[in-house]
Amino acid sequence: MAKSNVVVGLDIGTTKVCVAVAEVEADEEPRLLCIGQAETHGVRKGEITDFEAARESVRSAISDAESKSDLEIRSAFVSLTGGHLSSLNNRGVVELPDGREEITDADLEEARSRGRQVSIPATNTFLHTLVRQYRVDGRDGVVDPVGIIGTRLEADFHIMHGVVTRVQNTVKLVKDVPLAIDEVVVASLASALGALDESQRDRGVLLLDIGGGTTDYIIYRDGAVAQSGCLGVGGDHVTNDISMGLRIPIARAERLKVDEGSAVLGTCLPDERIHLRAEPGFGAREIEREMLHQIIHFRLREMFELLKERFDAERHLPYLGAGIVLTGGASQTSGIQHLAEDVFGLPVTPANPPSVSGLSGAVTNPQLATVLGLIEYARVTSGARPTGGLLFKMKSAFGRLFGRR
Amino acid sequence: MSDHPADSSSREAMQIKVVGIGGAGSNVLDRLVLEDAVEVDLVACNTDVQSLASSVATQKVQLGRGVTRGLGTGGDPDLGFNAAEESAQDIASALQGAPLVFVVAGLGGGTGSGATPLVVKMARDRGALVLALVTLPFSFEGRRRHQQAMESLDAIRHFADAVICFENDRMSDVALPSAGVHEAFAKADHLMGQCIRAVIDLVQRRGLIRLGFDDLLSALRGHEAQCLFGYGEAQGVDRAASALDQALRSPLMDQGIPLNEVANVLVNIAGGTDLTLAEVQTLMRALSQRTGEQTQLLFGAAVDPKLNGRVGVTIISSLSARPAEPAPLPAPPAPLPAITALPRTVAVPPSSGYTPRGFAPAAPPAPAPPTPLPVAAPVSVAPSTKPRSITDRILESSGGGASAAVVAPAHRGSLAPAPAPEPEPPAPVENVYRGRFEKGEPTIVNGEDLDVPAIFRRRVK
Repeated sequence: MAKSNVVVGLDIGTTKVCVAVAEVEADEEPRLLCIGQAETHGVRKGEITDFEAARESVRSAISDAESKSDLEIRSAFVSLTGGHLSSLNNRGVVELPDGREEITDADLEEARSRGRQVSIPATNTFLHTLVRQYRVDGRDGVVDPVGIIGTRLEADFHIMHGVVTRVQNTVKLVKDVPLAIDEVVVASLASALGALDESQRDRGVLLLDIGGGTTDYIIYRDGAVAQSGCLGVGGDHVTNDISMGLRIPIARAERLKVDEGSAVLGTCLPDERIHLRAEPGFGAREIEREMLHQIIHFRLREMFELLKERFDAERHLPYLGAGIVLTGGASQTSGIQHLAEDVFGLPVTPANPPSVSGLSGAVTNPQLATVLGLIEYARVTSGARPTGGLLFKMKSAFGRLFGRR
Repeated sequence: MSDHPADSSSREAMQIKVVGIGGAGSNVLDRLVLEDAVEVDLVACNTDVQSLASSVATQKVQLGRGVTRGLGTGGDPDLGFNAAEESAQDIASALQGAPLVFVVAGLGGGTGSGATPLVVKMARDRGALVLALVTLPFSFEGRRRHQQAMESLDAIRHFADAVICFENDRMSDVALPSAGVHEAFAKADHLMGQCIRAVIDLVQRRGLIRLGFDDLLSALRGHEAQCLFGYGEAQGVDRAASALDQALRSPLMDQGIPLNEVANVLVNIAGGTDLTLAEVQTLMRALSQRTGEQTQLLFGAAVDPKLNGRVGVTIISSLSARPAEPAPLPAPPAPLPAITALPRTVAVPPSSGYTPRGFAPAAPPAPAPPTPLPVAAPVSVAPSTKPRSITDRILESSGGGASAAVVAPAHRGSLAPAPAPEPEPPAPVENVYRGRFEKGEPTIVNGEDLDVPAIFRRRVK
């Protein structure tokens, strides 16, 4: 990298590869220098299916960003998604030895390592271990336990894990570009940093990042991650449904979805029709508008219902004061907020644009939430990463968000 | 042990009797004959002489000449029972000589509820294996009939080797809401007929890969089980996939969603002489994705020239009310003559040079080299597909030392699902057409393939 404080976020999505280049200082908002994009090939549902094609897509997005920013990109923060990701919550407990009452850094480290002693499938690897909260002697809501007097320290963790081989595929792809990897960040976490503000996280919020191939979700309660994961259904499925349901080509279905699609029913006149103009290889046709809406509606409703099942299993939904926030490309579908409100019974809002300066016009695009979140991730961890007494405060402030890996 | 699918002349005709009891029972028999002739003896038993007279069954038994004097029972099971008791002699002689007896009845009425348990017991006492196929009344028929049906069902379960129970309410999905009661009943009969025919075919048809009655028993194992039955038939391009699709859409199948919870699934694939092993294999792969990791697929393939050009898929399983019990049923007292010993042939058509992966080791299983497998043998053979591993386990239990000790204590131990939980190899291809997701791993949640458009899946219901 040209300057030490320039960071690059790389989000390999199912429809688009997005690269964000920004200057970051720990205490300032990031200055976005440029966004590089390329259409993705060889990725389905967030996972690589054609290695060569995917690599070329990443390369062209990187070179797009390089030419726009006039910088040479050598390393990046990389997002990770796919239906294999899952998460769980666990607690690590440390009893302080007799005669010592002040909690130290070492105790914290011990609690963390115990918190990670959970059984995840043998094929999986830990991706993030995030601190949710500390408890000292059974007292909830301790933000920073170091220095506090107590006999028993408990730490609640949110652990994200995924299938090793799938993670390795992404890593290998990026290394083949070639690029060095600063860190691999689970997409739902990155999106949360890109699309949620602190007050939303404190009040409790569910973020749904409905992308092309996957829907990443993350629930915050009291400022800490409570549940996260990924469902391998996204905008691509809607397009595919339209293509199969109306028997039109995929590309045509994609345009139809963007131009005319709606997730709510009963918004059009009976028998209202959409005229599809003739194109090479495709004769002119008329389709029923309600049919189109139904296809989209059923797909998205089913997706929300499946997600609701997962959320209901852990009972966080009733406590989300800030409701639901939607982001990701498919969140632009008209009427999707109403549908989500209907299914989840919570207020639904679109994501706020993240606070960045520079190229701020780009940040309102929900497709970029993840990649901008990667920049934000780089910013907060840049303060936390060097281990030194001076930066310790920083670390604990963000420790609740991340917990170092 | 390897007989060839082509020599149907030497078919060991297993004598099967299908006994229809009461009005509903004889209706099903009629339908069975009407739709497709089957090579079985049909016996109609009824108290109502008029209904008996119009039946097409080859043997007819009038129940309770003295008790009902040729009329019906008026919905009284006690009367039905007495009638059967009175005509016990006639019933016994009608049942004579069949090793396999199917008893078909509609429960809820007098004759069906009252006489059926007795007939089942008599057949059982004569050493026959008894499979009862019964329907429970529609809920609009009233609570009393339902109660009578349940009492009768309990008794039948006690005596029969296996019970397939059709809840008519679940079948109402097939008939349009606007259709009359008559049609709803007709649909129920039709479905039952289909099931009987499928089961008969299963036992009688010469198989490429043979399934026996024992497999059927283990598929239906479990008390208070809810029966899952699906049948589909298709022809043309992609016929295997669409037949499976149809089978999964059968009203008693609940879209195939419960399949990932059951312990045993019986699958029979029938086709004309043009049935290819590749088709069988892709079909089984598609199915294995819908089943749970612990599910045992009891698999058979049969060739029937009548089916030329078409492929039929039968799926039978049972969903326990309680979590599936892996342990096999405590041995039913009936002897299992000849039937359990049915040859389990795995014959690869000589013409095809192509041997799909799972079938590769399926050479004549005769003198299996006593491979020095360690105790964990059943697990270590798991990677091959189901039919093979079942055969394997038979061979091992008959010839092996240590491994036989592991599986032998179970009744019909070599077929018991317990000893070898086989993890399903994740199949890369799903057979339903999924558009742009055709290539690649399907996203399956709760047994539903999410890559298939939601509108297709949701609207069917």
